Amino acid sequence: MRDVLYLAWRYLAFNRWKTAILVAAITVIMFLPLALELVLERSSERLRARAAATPLLIGAPGSPLELALSSLYFSGEAPAGLVYSSVGEIHDTGLALAIPLQLGHRIGAQPVVGTAPDYFGFRGLPLADGRSLAITGEAVLGAAAATSLQAGPGDAVVTSPETVFDVTGTYPIKLRVVGVLAPSGSPDDEAVFVDVRTAWIISGIGHGHEDLADPGASGSVLKRDGQNVVGNAALVQYREITPDNLADFHFHGDTAGFPISAVIAVPVDEKSGVLLEGRYQGTDSGVRIVRPAGIMDELLATIFTVRQYVLAAVALVAAATIATIALVFLLSIRLRRAEILTMTRIGAAPGRVAAILGAEIMLVLLASSVLAALLTWLVTTWGDELFRWVLLSGYQ
Amino acid sequence: MNRKTRPKVSWLALLFIGTASCGPSDDAATTAETTAADGHVPTVYAVNYPLAWMAGRVGGDAVEVRLPVPDGVDPAHWQPAPETILAYQDADRVLLNGAGYAGWIRFASLSPGKLVDTSRGLDDRLVPAGGTTHSHGPGGEHDHGDVASHTWLDPTFAIAQARAIANALIDLAPDRKTEMVERLNVLQAELTGLDGALAQAFSGLPAAGILYSHPVYQYLDARYGLAGRSVSWEPGQDPGEAGWQALAQRLRERPAAVMLWEGEPLAATADRLRGMGVEPVVFETGAARPAAGDYLTLMGHNRERVARLKLVDKGDAH
Repeated sequence: MRDVLYLAWRYLAFNRWKTAILVAAITVIMFLPLALELVLERSSERLRARAAATPLLIGAPGSPLELALSSLYFSGEAPAGLVYSSVGEIHDTGLALAIPLQLGHRIGAQPVVGTAPDYFGFRGLPLADGRSLAITGEAVLGAAAATSLQAGPGDAVVTSPETVFDVTGTYPIKLRVVGVLAPSGSPDDEAVFVDVRTAWIISGIGHGHEDLADPGASGSVLKRDGQNVVGNAALVQYREITPDNLADFHFHGDTAGFPISAVIAVPVDEKSGVLLEGRYQGTDSGVRIVRPAGIMDELLATIFTVRQYVLAAVALVAAATIATIALVFLLSIRLRRAEILTMTRIGAAPGRVAAILGAEIMLVLLASSVLAALLTWLVTTWGDELFRWVLLSGYQ
Repeated sequence: MNRKTRPKVSWLALLFIGTASCGPSDDAATTAETTAADGHVPTVYAVNYPLAWMAGRVGGDAVEVRLPVPDGVDPAHWQPAPETILAYQDADRVLLNGAGYAGWIRFASLSPGKLVDTSRGLDDRLVPAGGTTHSHGPGGEHDHGDVASHTWLDPTFAIAQARAIANALIDLAPDRKTEMVERLNVLQAELTGLDGALAQAFSGLPAAGILYSHPVYQYLDARYGLAGRSVSWEPGQDPGEAGWQALAQRLRERPAAVMLWEGEPLAATADRLRGMGVEPVVFETGAARPAAGDYLTLMGHNRERVARLKLVDKGDAH
């Protein structure tokens, strides 16, 4: 038997390129459906877990999917806004904890998430370094964001302008990093967290400048008209919020009317959740309430339908590949007629020749199986990092 | 979903999102609604002494009331350190005075669900502070919405704030509701008594008018119809010759016989005021914790000092 294996091995080694192509083709055919299944299963589990951990989402009327994707995964455009008074209204019902989310800005590729301190407790996000948000102008980085921005407590990060060509748009704001979250394996790792007021300042709703009523600000005063002071073009708005200029920052108007992207509502209990849904559904309140778990289930059902088509296509390709491989082997036997004849003339029994040819096929299949198993193990073990690395640029 | 976002929501991206998302959730429904029945005494932080005092009076031992403002610091202008703000974040409730009091609140990261604005619903009773407006850019003329903030100097306003505090505390410890309602009733009766006593004291003031050393008495003024005017003098500082001249001008336009001070003015200042026919009277606001006694005793002393003015001959006041 060893001689059969030896001869088969020598043949495969001599025809190494042909062998490599065969092994690669069979490996792909074995690995692809397995990997697809694994990735889909893991992805759907995690999508569901994030959605299930977010009992209710409240946003402006519009696409529930867009609301869920932006609020849970900080993906895509920020949804149409609510007003901040919605947070107070939800609290006043006594049915749920309301956590505001203000989205839409970025620092480089990292999403900026304006929220309240409750968010960190709600998501179970402990700090790895530094402290939590305390004052406007501070930022806490997710673990991946800290790596990407190469920043930690004591450093500063600068928000990205909304558009390079809009010179009248909002200015970048320099934020002080005060903490870095421990890795959570969630979209929170990628985010830069700020207080919702900081998010408003980034949006240009709030701003800071020298006190125009101060006699020292005369260089920035165009005119004083009774109790009104008019600033001139020399009035410089602060680009950084520091303890020294904090008091000079202000918002125009009542914060109750300021925009937020969504509210995560955490009901006191299941009954409260149902009651809260009832309050917002079917009313003309201009507010939409959704259960993210349901939305993600619908989305995943669509994805799994697509998966069936993909698997069917893979099966067809596999059948074609197997047929091609069979053809390759048959043609190979025909091409090797002289070699087989030589083996017979030097005393090899026909069964022995068949065993050698069979061993060659078995070795190819064995090598493909080992490679496919190795790749599957890699996906299982290092899938998160692998997919993050492969897909990050496309996603952001 | 609009066309612009659709490419970003490709299922490939979703796979990544799903792969990257597995954050565990805390028992999120666990809010601050812990009660004494759980063996945990809810912690309540306040932004000034009157609120802390009222919370302590109503809550008794059902809640732990904290006021981390250092002694000798005016809570209205205090800027807490980040660590102190984190302590406020950990509280079960944070009692706000409302009316723009304690500017640091505007820039502190606090959970909206824990904030109790004790002036909420009392907008019609807020007194404008009369600040300067300004214009720059396309936003047009605006001010920063300033209203006078020392609301508790009107005891009837303080009663409304005490009710708001009681509601918040009952929310935290519903099993202690009965005793808290009883204590609230006692507190309301005491504040009502204070209101009557202050009304009586101020009714005996000289008719010439009243001045305030600092613009913090708007609610006292509004409650007792004093029609006073404010300057911005500090008790421990000489107002300077310009300040004296401005005061003399004011007195020529509209005489005054009394000036209320947050603290004891410098002896030289007091003497010069008396020389101008204005009697300085200390009327502490009680925003910070008093060295001795409590809010009621402090207001009692204020009342006594005002009542003593009755003994001053109105003719001698000028």
